[in-house]
Amino acid sequence: MDKKLLGRMKKYKFLYFLFLPIAVYFAVFAYYPFIKGILLSFQENRLIGNRPFVGTSNYEAVLSDPDFLQSVKNSLIIGLTDMVLYFVLSLLLALILNEVFSALLRKTTQTIAYLPYLFSWSVIGGVWALVFDLRGMANLVLGFFEIEPVFFLAEPALARPLVIGMGVWRSVGYFSLLYAVAIVAIGPSLFEAARIDGAGRLKQIRKIILPALRGTMKTIAVFLAIGVLTHFDEIYVMVNPANRQRIRTLLLYVYETGILNFKTGTASAGAALVMAGTLIITAATRRLIKYDKE
Amino acid sequence: MRPRHPKRDQVPFPLRILGSSVVVLVILLMGLPMVNVLAVSLSEAGASDAPGLVLFPSPATLQGYFFIWNYVDLRGPFLNTLYVSVVGTLIHVILSSLAGYILTQQDLPFRGLMTSFVLLTMTVPSELALIGIYTVNKDLQLVNTYAGLIVNGMISGFSVLLMRNYFSSIPTSLVEAARIDGCSEFKIFRRVYLHLSVPGIMTIGTLELIRRWNNISLTVALISDMKKWTLPVVLRWILFDQTSTSGTEYIFNNAKMAAVVLTALPLVILYFFAQRFFTAGALLGSTKG
Repeated sequence: MDKKLLGRMKKYKFLYFLFLPIAVYFAVFAYYPFIKGILLSFQENRLIGNRPFVGTSNYEAVLSDPDFLQSVKNSLIIGLTDMVLYFVLSLLLALILNEVFSALLRKTTQTIAYLPYLFSWSVIGGVWALVFDLRGMANLVLGFFEIEPVFFLAEPALARPLVIGMGVWRSVGYFSLLYAVAIVAIGPSLFEAARIDGAGRLKQIRKIILPALRGTMKTIAVFLAIGVLTHFDEIYVMVNPANRQRIRTLLLYVYETGILNFKTGTASAGAALVMAGTLIITAATRRLIKYDKE
Repeated sequence: MRPRHPKRDQVPFPLRILGSSVVVLVILLMGLPMVNVLAVSLSEAGASDAPGLVLFPSPATLQGYFFIWNYVDLRGPFLNTLYVSVVGTLIHVILSSLAGYILTQQDLPFRGLMTSFVLLTMTVPSELALIGIYTVNKDLQLVNTYAGLIVNGMISGFSVLLMRNYFSSIPTSLVEAARIDGCSEFKIFRRVYLHLSVPGIMTIGTLELIRRWNNISLTVALISDMKKWTLPVVLRWILFDQTSTSGTEYIFNNAKMAAVVLTALPLVILYFFAQRFFTAGALLGSTKG
């Protein structure tokens, strides 16, 4: 038996040889950083040299840091609002577009809505800088209703809505495309049968399309749940002294504390808590949508 | 009047009106800002800073582009980003296909273990290990190097999974036939597997290229030297930061928006050439599993 196994392994020795660098890559750049991060969270803040273990003091430090607590709040508000809006608005857009009879209009709208998903967050930051400029499009609309111009990007009260809006603008088209792909896959015979039974279009949407989208909805929900606490790029692009209290998310806190201010221990403790939070949010979402059933 | 699509029912009239208004609103909300950016980027410096909505530049000029390309030297970051993205994507595609091929071998001992080792890396978003990634790269002296940007993400669990699924859909009879014809294993990999998996390769290639071109978090974690910044990070600096840095000249809106367009354009062009692979990627992303 063992000889047989060895023989088979010998047959594939070249493939093992090729797999070696791949395994090394994952070990060094995926597993090790993860374990390292957890180790660092129990060690003293030092960038080089040996770092003595300090028990849970990093966690105590991070949990008593008002900046961290504020970023927990920011992350939850921005992350959860984004999650709900992406999910609901993209579903609505897909359903509405599906009712558009002109294929050209449907395809054009889909493409226009999808394009921003290709853009870097900096590009979207540029679009926002122009649209929400003191003399930009948004203030032009306000002017039409005779409202005084607003300096959107420096107004703390508007900081979170603007960042959430960026995400919606960028992502709704992409997620609605995922729904659209699933709608197209529904067999036409189902609709014909429903019509013969006298079901109107609305009832067809409710009884055929929505149930058919359940799998896609679950996948998207879990995907979004994993992302709730990982907002970084758009915050990095948009953060300024006027809005930082409102939009600094957990990952920006981790980045600033660990990489810009060299407090690797504190930052890693923060990151470990974000990881735990992500697990909790994902598990809660899975349970809420009964992901593992069926 | 006979409906053009006799096979489909329609929603009630008031809802149709509501639906059409939503479509118009979406087109305006998504399209107008993009047109606005493009028009301002093609305007003259003075006109681009003047109040009022510009949806059509008059006169149209490329001076914003020349200014940002030569004077603010966007050329450097543009070429750097192109280099890092293209080389990184090529390596990513090669290694992911190779790993996918290895993990397709039916009677390879320890195949399950190897597969789990690769796919387990998909469960935690890499951003959550940012500090660990930074420390590892620092230890390997990859901080502030392009090599660092290329090496990180050289292969990913997602791409391996995708390629493995592609490869395992290839009928074994085809492989057997090639073997009988005397093809070497490497030739089989190249002629049979790679040849039949071009759509899969294009899909992971386009997704990876987008990811790399737009990446911000890894770049700002690894690269502190401004001269080595990639395009999105430089763009953020041009848009929001350069006014606070002394010694730089005022950048007019047309040049700023030209930088925005130059950062977005390559991927938009890619999209129109490789559209079907984007949809294929979306499709794969939407299957539960």
